[in-house]
Amino acid sequence: MAISYEAIRDLTANLYEWSLKKIPEDAKRALETAIASERNETARKVLAMMRQSARRAEESDRFVCSDSGVPVYFIKVGTRAEFSGDVKRAIRDGFARLVETIEPPLLKHVTDPLTNERGHAGKDMPIVSWDMLDGADYIDVTCSPKALGSGRWAELQIMSFPTIQEIEKYILEVVVRSAAQQCPPVTIGVGIGGTFDHCAKLAKTATLRPLGSLNPEPKLAAMEERLTAAINQLGYGPMGTGGDTTALAVHVEYSSGHGFTPVAVCFNCWISRRTRARLYNDGHVERVE
Amino acid sequence: MATTHHLTLPVDEARVRSLALGDLVFVDGDIVMTAGLPTHRRILEAMDGARELPFPLDGAALFHLGSYSVDRPEGFEILYMNPTTSTRFNPVMPAIIRHFGLRIVCGKGGLDDASAAAMAEVGCVYLSILGGGAALHSDAIRQVIAVGWTDLVSHYRLVKLRVEGLGPLTVEIDSSGNNGYAIRQNTAQDRLALLLNDVDT
Repeated sequence: MAISYEAIRDLTANLYEWSLKKIPEDAKRALETAIASERNETARKVLAMMRQSARRAEESDRFVCSDSGVPVYFIKVGTRAEFSGDVKRAIRDGFARLVETIEPPLLKHVTDPLTNERGHAGKDMPIVSWDMLDGADYIDVTCSPKALGSGRWAELQIMSFPTIQEIEKYILEVVVRSAAQQCPPVTIGVGIGGTFDHCAKLAKTATLRPLGSLNPEPKLAAMEERLTAAINQLGYGPMGTGGDTTALAVHVEYSSGHGFTPVAVCFNCWISRRTRARLYNDGHVERVE
Repeated sequence: MATTHHLTLPVDEARVRSLALGDLVFVDGDIVMTAGLPTHRRILEAMDGARELPFPLDGAALFHLGSYSVDRPEGFEILYMNPTTSTRFNPVMPAIIRHFGLRIVCGKGGLDDASAAAMAEVGCVYLSILGGGAALHSDAIRQVIAVGWTDLVSHYRLVKLRVEGLGPLTVEIDSSGNNGYAIRQNTAQDRLALLLNDVDT
C-alpha cells in the first residue's frame, strides 16, 4: 500500500484546523505551572483568562485566536514511505479546501509582500520544510501556522567566533527589543551555528520541542535554564502587562559551522500552535500532538 | 490593589480620568473596531475632509480588534473578533485621539508616549485586551450596529458593535500620562543592564 494524494490533502488540512482550535496539552500544563508560581495578582488573572479562553475555544470548536496565520509545515519523509499521488499538490489543495470548508471561516492573512494585498492563497503557500527519516514507513507532519503577532519579532545576527556570553547577551537584547508584543508568555526558540538558512530553521524547530524539555547537551540545557530565569526577571509578564511569567520556555539548538556563527531567535505566543501526526503507508493516522 | 470598574459606553471625561494604571475594566455599550492600517489611513483622510466616515467617531472607544463579518439578508453578523498589536498604529494614533477626543483605545502591545501625551490632553485611556481570546471576546457581542468600508478585507473594516461584559481589560495607559508599557520597558532595560553586568563579572 502507498500514501495517497487524498490522505495527505486531508491530514495536512486537519492538522491546520486542529492547531487553531486547541492548544497543546503541554501548553496547558505550562499555563497551570505559571498560574501557581506567578506572584503578580493581575498577571495571575491574565493567565487564568488564557486558560479559560483555550477551554472555551476547544469546547465550542472555535478559534483560540483570530489570526490563523499562514500555513507552515515540517514534513519528515520515511525512506520506506511510498506514494501513489502528488505530495506537494495535495498540501496546496488541502489548504484550498480548508479555506472553503472550515467553520468559522479563516480571515485573509496570506499577503503578497510586493503589493500588501491579502487573500487565502499565494506564492509558496503553504510553506513546507522537508527532511528524511531513515527506515520509517510513514511521513511525520508537524503543522505550526505562523501569525503576525508572534512572527514579526524574530531576528538573526551573524557573529564571528562569539563567546557564550556574547550569544546570551544578543538573545536577551532581542527579547527586550520585542518589548513583549508577541503575546507572552512565549516559547523562545534559539538557533546557534550552522549557516544563515540552517540556523533560522534550528530556531524555529526549537519552538516545536515539547514545552520545557531540556536539550540533552548539558551546556545548552544550562543555557536554557539561565536564559529562562533571566527573561522572567525582566518584568514583562503575561500580555506584557507586568509579572514574572514572560517565557514559558527557552529552547536552544545548535549546529557546527564555520567560524562565523549565526544566532537566530524566534517566538511562539502563549497558545503554542503546534500539531503533529504520522501518516503510514497503510493509510492510518497516528496523532502525536 | 487594583480597582474593578464597570463602564457603560459612551463614557465622559471625568469617568475616564478616574481610571488608574492597573485597574480592571468591564465594558458594556458601543465600541468601534478595526485591525487595519489602511483603515487608519482612511480615518486620517476623513479628518482632512477628503473622505466620509461611515459613522461618527467623536468620543468613541476605538478597539484594535480584527473581526470576521458576514453580510446576511437580516444584516451583518460578526463570527469572531480578537485583538491586534496596537504599536503598528503608533504614528497615526496621536492625531486620531486628539481629533475625535477618543475616550478609550484598546488593543494589545500598547502605544508609545506620543499617544499617551495625546490621551492625557483629551482624557483617554488605553486598555489591554487578551490576545488569543477570540472565543471569550466573541461571547460578549450583543449586536452589530454598523459595518463600514466593506470594500476592505474583513478584519480591516470599521465595525461598530454593541458588547456586554467585555473584559476584564486592564488600564495600561491612564489619562495622566502614565504609560505602563514605557515604564516596564525602562525597567526591563535596567534589569538587562544588571544581568549583563553579572555576566561580565
